[in-house]
Amino acid sequence: MLMSVPSNPGFWVNEPVRVALTVGAGAALVCAVVGCATVMRRQAFAGHALADVSSAGGSAAYLLGLNPLLGFLGMAAAVAVVMEWADMREVRERDLLTGVVLGAGLGLTALLLYFDATMGSVSGAAMTVLFGSMFTIPATIVPVALAVAGAALVASAIIYRPLLLSALAADLARAQGLRVRAVTLTHAVTLALAVSLAAMTVGAILATALLIGPAAAALRLARRPFEALVLAALIGLGATWGGIALAYESFYWTPGRGWPVSFFIVILIFVAYLLSSWAATRRGARRGAALYGCEGA
Amino acid sequence: MYHLAMKSLLRSVQRPLGLALALTLTMLGVACSSAPSGGTPRAIGVESQYADVLAQIGGPYIRVQSILSNPNTDPHAFEASPAVVREVAGASLVVMNGLGYDAWIERILAAAENRRRTVIDVRELLALPRDTVNPHLWYDPRTMPAVAAAAARAFAALQPAHAQYFNDNAQRFAASLAPWKRALASFRKRYGGTPVAVVEPVANALLEAAGCRILTPLALQVAIMNGTDPAPQDLASERALLRAGKVKVLIYNQQVTSPLTASFLQLAQAHHIPVVAVYETMPQPGYHYQSWMLAETNALRAAVAEGVSTRTLLPAGASR
Repeated sequence: MLMSVPSNPGFWVNEPVRVALTVGAGAALVCAVVGCATVMRRQAFAGHALADVSSAGGSAAYLLGLNPLLGFLGMAAAVAVVMEWADMREVRERDLLTGVVLGAGLGLTALLLYFDATMGSVSGAAMTVLFGSMFTIPATIVPVALAVAGAALVASAIIYRPLLLSALAADLARAQGLRVRAVTLTHAVTLALAVSLAAMTVGAILATALLIGPAAAALRLARRPFEALVLAALIGLGATWGGIALAYESFYWTPGRGWPVSFFIVILIFVAYLLSSWAATRRGARRGAALYGCEGA
Repeated sequence: MYHLAMKSLLRSVQRPLGLALALTLTMLGVACSSAPSGGTPRAIGVESQYADVLAQIGGPYIRVQSILSNPNTDPHAFEASPAVVREVAGASLVVMNGLGYDAWIERILAAAENRRRTVIDVRELLALPRDTVNPHLWYDPRTMPAVAAAAARAFAALQPAHAQYFNDNAQRFAASLAPWKRALASFRKRYGGTPVAVVEPVANALLEAAGCRILTPLALQVAIMNGTDPAPQDLASERALLRAGKVKVLIYNQQVTSPLTASFLQLAQAHHIPVVAVYETMPQPGYHYQSWMLAETNALRAAVAEGVSTRTLLPAGASR
């Protein structure tokens, strides 16, 4: 089915598709890079919470008529910095705090979505904020999205080595005189940039899939961090573009409706994760563990 | 903001009916001798347009209230308050649109059981199939005369002494739609076959009665109405309609907007295509059902004939 897409000229000239491909590519690349660090630092849950909480910013943006990407971003960045400040050493304590913040954030979203529907007379805000609607992304968001993606990639490149070291051996990093705090704070902000792009793409609730899925699959297969980054980027980009193509094609197999693009992207990520697990298990039996899980998991 | 929502809701429910009644009676030329008293049966039109028709039929003998009348909210997303439940519980007649448009009222009706209450489901009244896609039944010229006749029958059962009065009012109401129907017929004769684009299927019945050809894919209209993901193919065709100037007018829902619908309006403006606002509930103040429908039809004509946009039917600065 994917093969039939390039043969369909409507796909490449379709404006909503082109906007979706561009924003989706930015989100997939940033999520791949930030996602690998997040998975290695065991912050998957924090990433998910941040994405959920960002939905409050997205719904507020609808109410105020602002750019939704900036809404997601503002909320995610504020909460990321505060949560990094709290700096819980114990994993259990950190998970509890994260869970409580997640609940409060989604509760705020419920209130703001209620206002969207009853006061702001905005239609479809709930579906778009929570589950995404790539084909309705306004073309005016593209430059903002690309700027956010560029900033996230540059910041990630700068903190790449120190972050990796602090993730794998925090004590060693400190002993080397690294400013661990500055590094983790920068990472928290790049995490906020990544989840807000992902929320724009597949919605706040599904953003975790794009953040964690490709990274988790890549880390199962790769043996060096850089290899994992490239692999995660390829998986994320493949799932996002493949999902867009399948959603476009679904118009022709459903009675002229088409299925939601978020569904296809998330399902493709899931399939990639299953395949990577299967491949890693087969290879692991012969050659030992891959990068992910070597740290005592 | 919540406070504001509650206030506007309360205002709509408790709106003193004196003024509305006086207006109605003046329009119908009925002498108003006695004010309604405490024992007057109560009727509810869930949407304000049905309440307006009920008030025109019931006159001083029926107290009429509406639930959905705030033109700034999406009726599809309405959430009922305890005050609404109390109003419904005490009503002798409830007129609802049906087709899932006001599905929440069914739960309230079930919760506040009352065997002496009559419920008119307009979809059932018109014998439309349950899977009818477009729930905005009041834009169809055939709808309200049937509602008026059914209301007269229900009121006659409540107040047998005034049966003749209700019946006369129903006939007078049907006759009062003549200016609107003439406007539709005149438009159809002069501009029949005019290609138009829409955002949601709100006024499609009126457009069809006026002989317009709606070129927007129905799947896109339904997706926007239901807040689901629209297909990129449909989005592209809507934009192409506006860009290529293939339509004479863009009809949009004044009450429900989103960044997507705003982008259609911008595109129409950029390509000098006039736009006409249509409503989910009767715009207030200043309108009755008849004058509202006539105003929409005149706005359509102004757009097609003179390229004039109508972004609101209300005078500037009018209250909600």
